[in-house]
Amino acid sequence: MSEHDVERPEAALERRTRKVFDASVEQLDAGTRARLRAARQAAIVELESRQRPARQGWVPLAVAASAALVAVLLWRAPAESPVPVASSGATEAIDALEVVAAGDDLDLVAEDLEFYVWLEHAGLDGHGGGQG
Amino acid sequence: MMGPATLEVPMTQLPADLEYSCREEASLDAAETLDHFLASVERPAFRIAQMALRDRDDALDVVQDAMLHLARSYGHRPGAEWRPLFYRILYNGIRDKQRRRTVRSRLFGLLPGSRADENEPREDPLERVADGAPGPDRLLMADQAMQRLETAVAALPARQQEAFALRCLQGMDVAETATAMGCSQGSVKTHYFRALQSLRATLGEVY
Repeated sequence: MSEHDVERPEAALERRTRKVFDASVEQLDAGTRARLRAARQAAIVELESRQRPARQGWVPLAVAASAALVAVLLWRAPAESPVPVASSGATEAIDALEVVAAGDDLDLVAEDLEFYVWLEHAGLDGHGGGQG
Repeated sequence: MMGPATLEVPMTQLPADLEYSCREEASLDAAETLDHFLASVERPAFRIAQMALRDRDDALDVVQDAMLHLARSYGHRPGAEWRPLFYRILYNGIRDKQRRRTVRSRLFGLLPGSRADENEPREDPLERVADGAPGPDRLLMADQAMQRLETAVAALPARQQEAFALRCLQGMDVAETATAMGCSQGSVKTHYFRALQSLRATLGEVY
């Protein structure tokens, strides 16, 4: 039995009940209508409050991420910058290594071939005219 | 008169402003659309809840909860989906209220002195609430036909009530009703058919 076959003999009942129901909806008292209106307004406020954080949520997130990035950069900056090693003059080997390790001095060595040759002859422990 | 320099400034600011205003507009549209939708269903939904619960305040509570739940959980969904979702939430709320009443009535039934005479037939307090006895709000209801309809519908099993209210009183199609009831379309047809049969038997003379 199809739905259409079932509904046909009940059509009058459906029509009548719908009419009665619609009339009762129209006859709702003012107090009930006011409470329903208030409930609806509360739902709208709920919807708007749900949408607001989603829309503006990226602002505090971006601020927090920026602050964390700055903090990391500040923390790592001293470790990455060249720190001059205090030359105590305890050993010449350390001094020589310092010369080799310093980028600027290496440039100077590369440019001054005479100095390089002198260094080879003097040896690492030599004091032979370091300025010469 | 407007030179090229004056045109440049608004043009460079346009995308960000436009994006912001579009978001604001979308938010307003969503709120406005939801407002219209709820305004269209709030009164029939209240009547349906009142028919099922036979209590004005309980019906108002259930409708209010359903509105809030819809806005909270489904406000972002397309408006076309709201109606079956709203009635599904509403009927969940109605069933929840009915369950609580049943539990409360059973608890009260266990209290000492709640049954004065053990020989008297046991009566469920819920049945007393749903017996159609005219209360203050019922006396205010002028339409006698509506009272008869409410009584007849209240006598139906819960699922038949739902199918009848959604299909007949709300004019929802079978698919929408199935979504709202959380069952198959075949079940909707069966429940609705049986509801009509029962109501015809009960109201046939008057309707």
